[in-house]
Amino acid sequence: MEIEILQGIISLLIILGFSPLFAGLINKLKAVLTGRIGAPVWQPYYDLKRLFKKETINATVSSFVSRISPVINFVTVAVAATMLPIGFWKPLISFNGDIILFAYILGLARFIQILAAMDIGSSFEGMGAAREATFALFAEPIFFFTLGSVAFISGLSSIYDIYYSIQLNNISYIVFIVICSISAFLLAVTECSRMPVDDPNTHLELTMIHEVMILDNSGIDLFLYQYSGYIKLFIYAILEISFFYPFSAQSYLVGVMIFVIGSFILALTLATVETITSRFKMKNIPQYLLFATAIGILNLLIYTFTK
Amino acid sequence: MNGLLNSGNVLFIAAFVIQLSALIPVAFIRSERKFFLTSNIILLIGLVIGLISTLSSSLFSSSQLINDTLLFDNWIRLDGLGLFFLFIIQLVAIPTTIFNFSYLQHYIDQERPIKSFVISYTVLLVSTQFIVIANQAILFLVSWEVMSMSAYLGMILEREKEEVHKGSFYYLVASHVIVFVIYIFFFLLHHQTNSWFLSDYHVSLTLRNTLPILFILSFIGFGIKAGFMPFHFWLPQAHPIAPTVLSAFLSGVIIKTGIYGILRTFQFLNPIPEWCGWVVLVISILSAIFGVWYALAQHDIKRLLAYHSVENIGIIGIGIGIGFIGSANKIPALEVLGFGGALLHTLNHAIFKSLLFLGSGVISNNLGTRNIELMGGIVHRAKYLAIFFLIGSVAISGIPPFNGFVSEFIIYNGFFQAAKELKNYYPFIMLIFVVGLAFVGGLAVACFTKINSIIFLGTERKEIKHFHTSVYDYISLGILSLLCIAIGFYPRIFIGIVNKVIGSGFVSADSSALIGMNWLSLTLIFSAILLSAVVLYFVKVKIQKKYGRRTSATWGCGYENITPRMQYTASSFADELNIIPKTILVYHKKVEISKGAFPKQTAFESHSQDFVDNKIVLPLYGFLKKIISKIEFLSQTDIRYYIGFILIIITVYGIIAFLWK
Repeated sequence: MEIEILQGIISLLIILGFSPLFAGLINKLKAVLTGRIGAPVWQPYYDLKRLFKKETINATVSSFVSRISPVINFVTVAVAATMLPIGFWKPLISFNGDIILFAYILGLARFIQILAAMDIGSSFEGMGAAREATFALFAEPIFFFTLGSVAFISGLSSIYDIYYSIQLNNISYIVFIVICSISAFLLAVTECSRMPVDDPNTHLELTMIHEVMILDNSGIDLFLYQYSGYIKLFIYAILEISFFYPFSAQSYLVGVMIFVIGSFILALTLATVETITSRFKMKNIPQYLLFATAIGILNLLIYTFTK
Repeated sequence: MNGLLNSGNVLFIAAFVIQLSALIPVAFIRSERKFFLTSNIILLIGLVIGLISTLSSSLFSSSQLINDTLLFDNWIRLDGLGLFFLFIIQLVAIPTTIFNFSYLQHYIDQERPIKSFVISYTVLLVSTQFIVIANQAILFLVSWEVMSMSAYLGMILEREKEEVHKGSFYYLVASHVIVFVIYIFFFLLHHQTNSWFLSDYHVSLTLRNTLPILFILSFIGFGIKAGFMPFHFWLPQAHPIAPTVLSAFLSGVIIKTGIYGILRTFQFLNPIPEWCGWVVLVISILSAIFGVWYALAQHDIKRLLAYHSVENIGIIGIGIGIGFIGSANKIPALEVLGFGGALLHTLNHAIFKSLLFLGSGVISNNLGTRNIELMGGIVHRAKYLAIFFLIGSVAISGIPPFNGFVSEFIIYNGFFQAAKELKNYYPFIMLIFVVGLAFVGGLAVACFTKINSIIFLGTERKEIKHFHTSVYDYISLGILSLLCIAIGFYPRIFIGIVNKVIGSGFVSADSSALIGMNWLSLTLIFSAILLSAVVLYFVKVKIQKKYGRRTSATWGCGYENITPRMQYTASSFADELNIIPKTILVYHKKVEISKGAFPKQTAFESHSQDFVDNKIVLPLYGFLKKIISKIEFLSQTDIRYYIGFILIIITVYGIIAFLWK
């Protein structure tokens, strides 16, 4: 029991500690692929340190919502992180039905962030908020068609148990899992505002989704937003990597190795995708998301009838 | 009659007597203000006593079983389901009655006569409570009719307005259709069982062939009241025009009597075939999705909230549907989760919907409009109102840590349970429903971020001269918010109550699926979130003290003269979502694009109409009107014609009744 709690705490600390590194890794790889030297992989840490020491400027029209939003964002994302396994270490929060809590607790972060964006009273933020609400809506089904379909097949409803139940002994099941992991990747791209859905590096407010929502924040507020953004990216990366734990044959060491190598491969994939594609037109994004949903439905349908 | 006069029953009877005696002052107090104050205080005392007597009943005691008490020669029955709904009614009626103190003051200031409203409000409250405890079919029908009509009389308080005429007429027609249908329903039941007592209605297995008719009649009759999707059309017409207290009570409680009716029908028809479950499930998920989608397209805050009731009734219906499927397949775990989710969501919805309606009433009274496009920046005028409204909004969107999440969580678990227990193709179908429910959650987030941000945040789109909130507003909103928080953070007690209700007459066998869920983890996680958020907030404030914090104007891309009109509007916020189901939402946009070097003033408007109302109800009404106009010649001014018609009808009825026997 104690060892499980300790493992859970270590997992959480790993996620909190290494999430900026993961983001830095993606940026570095992207730079290399486009023929630049790029910022060091530690750059996100420097950025966070710089933001931490800056003065905070709030918009005059903003209210208490803007004050509490960064805090709630950070806390909820951190709580979502405590539900995820690293290797086969049991996460700190794990009970039947936590998959629903996971989806909804991130919903709380989104709710308060949209409000904080609208709190500024600027139409740039409003535009970002409206887009966030719209695209999040189409992203929700993808989550349930990937992780949820594995849950429904196995009859389990705790994230840890769901991943633990994956066994690669049946060819149709392997195909099913692989396709699930593909739609999980499409989901991660959307939720973490990466290309081709959103461009984190764009310089025009009108073309942004997530970045524009935090435009009028600075100092410690921006620090919290950025940090929770890094954690969220890492969370979705872990959701993706965890599909490959069955290869570890349930040994901790192999599991951790899969985690490390998986993170690197995923970062490389994200960097490659961002290098070779450009951002979609805004009006095409729902189509992209519905495409990912359709993959999920078809996948499950085929699996149900070929069993 | 044995044991009629024990202490619990005395309290129970006293509560009703006191509530009804709130009508007495009308006889001798002439001043509108004094009458309303005395009457409201008496009513409030009656309600509090009623709530105390309900709380002291076996539903809330530590014993595992609920006493099924029959009083007054079996005319009154206090069983699990009845007590639970009685609890909901009284729980919501207390804050709305407190709210009356400030709300009706507003009408008194306008020198509008409110005596009739106070009377119909009192009658409404009492008759609604009677519905859920009536055990005699005629008493049930009479209470039902009294409830419907008193709500109608209360609704027409501002009867000089055109929209009030229209909305209340919708309500009146819908009420009459309901009564007509449930009359037939009860007469059929009486015909089969030869009894007028609800407790005797068990459609025995030999008479199964009438079951589909009974089920469909009940689902149509009670479904119209509850507002399931094809029958919802009266809701968004009637709720906005009613006085706020009444719309809160209508949306929070009265539509739940429809749910009560459907659950009672289940008890009559138990065991129910599986197709009933599928019918309820499919209609419910459609109600949920399109209810919230319609809500997203509205600009009128009360109409928006009315559509949200359709959504939430859909979610309750999903729970009932799971329960039906569990009952048909004899899986207690599924029954418990389905009905449990439905009952808890009924309680939750009653709480947060009345909270939101009362909140909207404060706003629309102060601003003199219900159009959210003219609001904005109210948070700087009334901070606590914004906080209460935010709590209600987060709760209704089903987001933790408030109560809406708890009931949706149970329903999700019901789907998981169904997939686990009923293998075969069930996991696939159940997953489709799960995704549907998640989609509803996403739409609710979009909708409630929209209204919260447009109403409360940013700057004032139309200048607010003064914004007045009274202590009564805050008491009633505070009570409801506290309930949202309590059920969210510590669901264990309420789960226990719901589980007891289901234990008495819903499940085929005991199951610990609901009570055995990990409720403590939820409590712990939510407390941890709250605690760490508070700590982090103070740390943040401390860091800001060290490195400095100041306020500055919103960045406008270098543009200095930003006006409130340049803020994002509700229609633009929701536009990207509304254009997707354009035909179903009957969503129209009128855009004038400015052209040339010296563009003229341009305009933009968008509005949505109800599909069922526009494409089905109104054409049907037009069609009927055309037919009826053919027999218009029968409509004479001479009263003797009418007496003649009555005589003919009575003769026809008499002949039919004679031949029937």
